[in-house]
Amino acid sequence: MINIRNFCIIAHIDHGKSTIADCLLETTATVSFREAKAQLLDDLDLERERGITIKSHAIQMKYTAKDNLNYILNLIDTPGHVDFSYEVSRSLAACEGALLVVDAAQGVEAQTISNLYLAIEAGLEIIPVLNKIDLPSAEIDKVKGQIIDLIGCRDSDIILASAKTKIGIEEILEAVVTKIRPPGGDPDAPLQALIFDSKFDAFRGAVAFIRVVNGTLRTKDKIRFFAIDKEFEAEEIGILGLKKIKCDELAAGNVGYLIAGVRDVHDAKVGDTVTHKKDPADKPLPGYKDVKPMVYSGLYPTDAEKFEDLRDALEKFRLNDSALIYQPETSAALGFGFRCGFLGLLHMEIVQERLYREYNQSIITTLPNVEYHVHKKNGVDIIVDNPAEMPSVGDIDSVEEPYVKAQIVCPSEYVGNIMKLSMDKRGTYKNISYIDPTRADLQFEFPLAEIIFDYFDKLKSTTRGYASFDYEYIGYRESDLVKLDILLNNEPVDALSMIVHRDNSYVWGQKVSSKLKELIPRQMFEINIQAAIGTKVISKAVVKALRKNVLAKCYGGDISRKRKLLEKQKEGKKRMKQVGNVEIPQEAFLAVLQIDK
Amino acid sequence: MNETALYIHIPFCDHKCIYCDFYSIITTDNISSYKEALIKEIDYYSSLYSEESYITSIYFGGGTPSLMEARYLYDIINHIKTKFHVAPAPEISMETNPGTVNKNKLKEFLRLGINRISIGVQSFDENELKFLTRIHDKKTAIATVFNALEVGFENISIDLIFNLPKQTKWTWRRNIEIATLLPINHISAYSLILERGTILNKMVLDGKVALQDEDYDADLYEITIKELEERGFQQYEVSNFAKPGFECLHNTAYWRYKNYIGFGTSAHSFMNDKRWWNYSSLKLYQARVAEKGMAEANYEIISPEESISEYIMLALRSYGIEISKMEKRFGKEWMEKNMNYLQILTDNNFIIVNNNWIKLTKKGYTICDEIISKFK
Repeated sequence: MINIRNFCIIAHIDHGKSTIADCLLETTATVSFREAKAQLLDDLDLERERGITIKSHAIQMKYTAKDNLNYILNLIDTPGHVDFSYEVSRSLAACEGALLVVDAAQGVEAQTISNLYLAIEAGLEIIPVLNKIDLPSAEIDKVKGQIIDLIGCRDSDIILASAKTKIGIEEILEAVVTKIRPPGGDPDAPLQALIFDSKFDAFRGAVAFIRVVNGTLRTKDKIRFFAIDKEFEAEEIGILGLKKIKCDELAAGNVGYLIAGVRDVHDAKVGDTVTHKKDPADKPLPGYKDVKPMVYSGLYPTDAEKFEDLRDALEKFRLNDSALIYQPETSAALGFGFRCGFLGLLHMEIVQERLYREYNQSIITTLPNVEYHVHKKNGVDIIVDNPAEMPSVGDIDSVEEPYVKAQIVCPSEYVGNIMKLSMDKRGTYKNISYIDPTRADLQFEFPLAEIIFDYFDKLKSTTRGYASFDYEYIGYRESDLVKLDILLNNEPVDALSMIVHRDNSYVWGQKVSSKLKELIPRQMFEINIQAAIGTKVISKAVVKALRKNVLAKCYGGDISRKRKLLEKQKEGKKRMKQVGNVEIPQEAFLAVLQIDK
Repeated sequence: MNETALYIHIPFCDHKCIYCDFYSIITTDNISSYKEALIKEIDYYSSLYSEESYITSIYFGGGTPSLMEARYLYDIINHIKTKFHVAPAPEISMETNPGTVNKNKLKEFLRLGINRISIGVQSFDENELKFLTRIHDKKTAIATVFNALEVGFENISIDLIFNLPKQTKWTWRRNIEIATLLPINHISAYSLILERGTILNKMVLDGKVALQDEDYDADLYEITIKELEERGFQQYEVSNFAKPGFECLHNTAYWRYKNYIGFGTSAHSFMNDKRWWNYSSLKLYQARVAEKGMAEANYEIISPEESISEYIMLALRSYGIEISKMEKRFGKEWMEKNMNYLQILTDNNFIIVNNNWIKLTKKGYTICDEIISKFK
């Protein structure tokens, strides 16, 4: 155990986490150069495109240090995005140290800070690494200063590296060995192993990635998962090289995988503790949480007849994504579909995109929303995750909505812009500090609902992409919220309802109705668009009836072409949703997200 | 035997107009070899289809067929008559451009068998004619109509285009007024179509010319229908108007979903459930005919579903759907599937259903494509 080191890498997006990881693997000859794909640990296409690791894995390296001893280094990959902060925290809990990688040209960013705090809270030894020092735009001294201010280390503690030119890689490995403490734990104590990630294998069931904290896990052991309170047998255990390598036992301090005939990936919950059936540990490891979705949206098949296909796709999808939840719902406008819960906006986009790309599903998504706690006048409290289900104004005593604490790091000249944007988004200013004279670190509290609309896009445009942003959930607070309904030809379209703050409701009503007017094409009949709160109409717009749509010529040589044109037109109509006598294009259901663009 | 229409494409033109996307060539080379190819192609298809076909109309389109010597067309007509069963008095139409024919030539055409002419007037406004790059002026256009009448044509049609850039309602009304004062009995009035590959299309893309919007186009179309009907020209298709009894038999054959065979470059044919089309290029066309007797570039087999949707589309665009006839051909399913929709269309005055017929109203004609695209 004394020669094991468990560590992870924390970094802002694009600061070089994956390339540093690749270099470590190459240098320790865990993978050959040819095997080292562009980004080894990220194996989903989508993640690679977005440059984010979503599903964390671990990999074991063997390293002979300068002291001539052989070490086992377990690198545990962590998701870098705020949507997955719970998963991050469990990965951190499996480590004793972390490399803090900062881009020498970009400097400290919001995610650097938020993940660093998580790592410090988890008691990890922090090894600061300044990456990309070979870039002409690198500002080594300045960024060093930022890091020193942030974690209070010495100048000489910061490793100067470049994954591209392999500078500093040996130094990093030496620091991992010498600075990070070996794992504690007693191999003879009752078993406590932390599940820090899991994935689904179609043949073997759930594969749990575990860190053994106490005790020793052997093949064929009868085991129990604390949180879900179910028993299994350890069919296969092993360590994680580039591929899985079977072994007979995993002792305290080590990291590996566990296959135990767990048919449902939801039984292998991230954060759960594995113990023995016989001589169990008396308590689980701390920190387990049942992950709750923060963002909800309706998913509907474009073609109503494809409802069962969408159900099948979601079922398959859920096998590999234990964070996704869904349940059937019916919308008067959209028919049968599902209300889905996501960890955050990114998670939602990923699910939608993968359903489309990998499962070939054409879907309509409704505007994302958060979960509201509604106290009704009759004393009943309800939870509303779909705006359409919000009780009528008269029945509501009060409504609470989730709030987040947000951290924004940006060049100081943009502080004014961010202040204004954040106020528009119902933000409460909390604090400002300076990382160095040119970089500000701002803190706000926001209703989550405002963040999931378009805050991030606006932040980027108002700061020319120089601001970085991160947030964490802090709890529910009361707000003066109302339901804004949209009516088309006097029929309410439930899928277009949204919850907004009363003060903003008129502005929203106007914006949404004029945006819909833009997005809904002219049709056979005139379309009256109304935005209403309760029975009170607050804004109106009209889509005039189609006046002319007929091709002038159709003779012998035109018929085939004309038929194909009409077929295309029919296909186009299939992608629209018929509500009453109105055809609504898919984009309209996300109209609000496009406002001001 | 099935009633069948024959189309002969004459691709030669003296110049190319900016809005035209028909296959045409601005040279007089190959004119005689082209005729040989047409004759050969007629031989080929008559050997396949003459048994089952009864020819009710022949139509010379282009290009500019009136550029040809009358004799040229006569040889083709004559050859058709020897190879196919042709009705005793078939409608034989020819497209004519003002300025390509004088009185003598018109007389020749009439004498050698052409009995209907369709004159490509397009406009009586000098500015519009210049914009369209037509070679004639208002005076020539009117003279051509009177010449045709004087030599004995009883069946005269003219083409007009509306919704030209900058066209006002007044100039369009004026065009209609002049047209209806002429001794003609048929008018085709087309809203300008921007075809890909035309000079006009490029002008629009380059921002040199601005098209007028949908609402204006609709206004002009409604004016067209109203004014022409008031002056005795009944609408019998989206863009076609005739005095009673002067509807174009040949075009009606397309819309009534009859068989047709097209000869020459880029011509389309439709026999039973097969539609095919010839090579557009003169060179390829002639080479293929020389080699194989025909020049089919490609074909499609019309599936039963495609067939009914074509039938419905063509019928609604023109005379309307004769329900009993349609059901005899395609079964009762279509009416059953579309009952609700037909009711909505009726309630909103887009169609009229009576006595076994479903017809578009004037309001229906203006958004005909939208209506058709929503049938199941």
